[in-house]
Amino acid sequence: MRILHATSFNFIKHRKIAYGISLLLLVSGMISLAVRGLNYGIDFKGGSEVVIRFEKNADVGRVRSIINDAGLQGVIKQYGLARSFLLRTDFQGETSTLKSLVSGSLRDGLPGNPHEIVSIQAVGPSIASDLKWSAMKALLAALAAILLYVGIRFEIKFATAGVIAIFHDVLTVLGLFSLLGGVSDFMPLEIDQSIIAAFLTIAGYSITDTVVVYDRIRERIKGQRPSDYEKIFNESINQTLSRTVITSGTLLLAIIVLFIFAGPAIRGFAFAMFFGVLVGTYSSIFVAAPIVLDWQRRSKAPIKLRGAA
Amino acid sequence: MKQNRVKILLIVVITIVSVWSLYPTYRDYALTKKIESLASSRDSLQFLLDHRNEIEQAREKSLKLGLDLKGGMHLVMEVDLLDLIDQKAWNKDERFYRIMANVKSRSANSGANVVDLLASEFRKENVRLSRYFYDIRNSDREIVDKLNKEAQDALSRAKEVIRNRIDQYGVAEPVIQAQGTRRLIIELSGVTDEARVRKLLKGTAKLEFKLLKDRETLLRTLDRINTTLSQSDAAGAAPDSAFAGMPPTGADSLVQKSASFRPLFEVADEYSRDYVASLLAREDVRALLPQDTELLLSAKPDENVKGEKFYSLFLVKKSPELTGGVITEAKATFGSQNVQPEVLMEMNSEGTAKWARITGANIGKRIAIVLDGVVYSAPVVQSKIPNGNSVINGISSLEEAKDLEIILKAGALPAPVRIIEERTVGPSLGSDYIRAGMLSIIWGFTAVALFMIVYYHKAGIAADLALVLNILIVISVLAGFSAALTLPGIAGIVLTMGMAVDANVLIYERIREELDEGKQLKLAVDTGYKKAFSSIFDSHVTTLSAAFLLYVYGIGPIQGFAVTLMIGTAASLFTAIVVTRLIFDLLLGTSFMNEKSFG
Repeated sequence: MRILHATSFNFIKHRKIAYGISLLLLVSGMISLAVRGLNYGIDFKGGSEVVIRFEKNADVGRVRSIINDAGLQGVIKQYGLARSFLLRTDFQGETSTLKSLVSGSLRDGLPGNPHEIVSIQAVGPSIASDLKWSAMKALLAALAAILLYVGIRFEIKFATAGVIAIFHDVLTVLGLFSLLGGVSDFMPLEIDQSIIAAFLTIAGYSITDTVVVYDRIRERIKGQRPSDYEKIFNESINQTLSRTVITSGTLLLAIIVLFIFAGPAIRGFAFAMFFGVLVGTYSSIFVAAPIVLDWQRRSKAPIKLRGAA
Repeated sequence: MKQNRVKILLIVVITIVSVWSLYPTYRDYALTKKIESLASSRDSLQFLLDHRNEIEQAREKSLKLGLDLKGGMHLVMEVDLLDLIDQKAWNKDERFYRIMANVKSRSANSGANVVDLLASEFRKENVRLSRYFYDIRNSDREIVDKLNKEAQDALSRAKEVIRNRIDQYGVAEPVIQAQGTRRLIIELSGVTDEARVRKLLKGTAKLEFKLLKDRETLLRTLDRINTTLSQSDAAGAAPDSAFAGMPPTGADSLVQKSASFRPLFEVADEYSRDYVASLLAREDVRALLPQDTELLLSAKPDENVKGEKFYSLFLVKKSPELTGGVITEAKATFGSQNVQPEVLMEMNSEGTAKWARITGANIGKRIAIVLDGVVYSAPVVQSKIPNGNSVINGISSLEEAKDLEIILKAGALPAPVRIIEERTVGPSLGSDYIRAGMLSIIWGFTAVALFMIVYYHKAGIAADLALVLNILIVISVLAGFSAALTLPGIAGIVLTMGMAVDANVLIYERIREELDEGKQLKLAVDTGYKKAFSSIFDSHVTTLSAAFLLYVYGIGPIQGFAVTLMIGTAASLFTAIVVTRLIFDLLLGTSFMNEKSFG
């Protein structure tokens, strides 16, 4: 079986359209980030979360009124597990009081429907701000490492274009999270630690497809005239198209499985990964290599790649 | 051919090591199943006794499950270094308290080093640290170094104390790590009584023996407080007179409290305890107390004949006669005269000598036994106590007495600790996660493996075999290094499956290209592996570096994800390249493989 075999799409010729699409994605993401902001989870803003599971189905309004009557200031939502609810309140150092308050009021309020508190998480504000910093540091360090590595293995233009593509991917997913954050209780799309993990994984993976294209360009460009570069770039993208799509495809299969089976704690992560890999594949084809070519035209010097065979 | 033999050997050895390192996990599982299957509890006990060593060994070496899968508590505790610094300072004045308040507000929102914050605040105010700390001749640099040393000691001491407490409470395989300059990460699996553990960990257990002032002084002091406060509060409450006509509702209770002063008595009923405690904490109330004294409440209420409960107030000398540092041994028991639980304590020689002198000099007077700022008992000294024994009574339950015993034996914390992060997962959610994780692995593997076979035919089977070995390596490395498997870790394994075959995809696509150019199969395979290597290597390096940074900067569960991703990616360099290559080398000459085998 073969897909996308011996294609000859003219990616380079239509790159301006791709730039336009990317710009649109980024700008709408930015606008949403500025207007709606992000839906931070307790990892990053502090607070307490209690997951309560009932033995029988319970009405969310009923649970909410019981909890509110108990004097707890908080938000009650349906949780992505069967017969479960999520209570979110401000940070309390003592989760025991919170727990006994919740248990007691629900026991009295819904005597026929026993419940269990299946998890409690409480994150203080100082931890939350530290986590934000570590996340930023990790992302920046990853980008710097990738810039350095690709710079050494190829050339600085290739490395920069690759990192721009990563930025593009991460920002697009971030914009998507901002746009859809909090819309659905099934998948609240909160920014928490697992999403940071997703961003870093996307950053590491986005460049792999790009490297495959670069590698082919490197193989073919040696000794060629700059006037042929456009043709070589386009052919290289076409020649590697099937593997770019298939490598992402196998990963997407795994991600879809995670989304379906791994439960609510992983769902946001799987969502971020899914779109990250999708956009990453797109940017490897439509963003990274075209940028190198445009940059190359401006600088006029022929491409000298390290490690060219 | 010789090269192939080395490869075969390598693969066989790696497979055997992996299986061997996973064998205890299988044994542990099988033994647990066996015990569950035994009908009577007597049979299972007998089986447990017979196979005790085997079970223990298997359990020790089996794959550990993370807190999220097994259920348990993850805590981050912060040692209050500000309190420690405050303890070290002398000549404290208003400016010092102002600076400390600034440091406090700054440190509340970051994990920065408190001593550095302190130094920078002092610089801002243009005050030398030696004004308040250590020797006046010390430079700021020296003092910062000394304070940092103290802070470091406090953290390691706190870690040790908390480890002692947990060990004595009895939690299997606790994890206690220091993080940064003032935090401890504590992981306790399978904890059932979280509230008790929390209390046990946080208790500073500051034990003090304080001389009680006589009753007349107490009454005189209370009187003075009552008159002063009723005057000043009446004046302060005047603007609030608008509320006077309103009935007191729950919502105004705060206003009511501050507006109307209720006088203090020798005892406080159970409902007004919190109010009295808040009064006693007030700076202006403290200023009314006689020199070097403080007012304390009792830990437990006394009951009168009518069943009403009352807490007593004690006026004690502020500087303690003796502190808990001298306690060497503690034992929770039931008291001799009644069924009240109590804790017996023994002191070291220095404490014994002091205790004898103190009791000898104060016969007929009362000495309060104060723990964390509340009075547990205030017995009258009957005679000189020469042997260093003392008793804490007034404890409400044996459980509390047991916890006190643990805390006293483990020693006091150098500074108060706070819980700043807590994640508790119940065992039922954990088993849900395990099921979800298993399903993800099974379906993830099925999807990826099927795709490879459909798309690449026989070569796909080779890639799938390599994938099986890859997963085996990931899990066995986790088991071998006693790293715990968490739900994010399982997600990492599933993602790895999707990424590990990438190397094969790159190779196979290249081989197809070479075949299309009309190359011989053997040559095509050869070139395919050679030419695909550089992009495979580059992509692995970038994925590995991202995972590594995630491991370095991430915490807790996310590290579990980073670890499995790292192992899986690194292992796939070997499995996807070496293993599949070997399979082709062995089969290429035979009729089993031809040009069509690559789909």
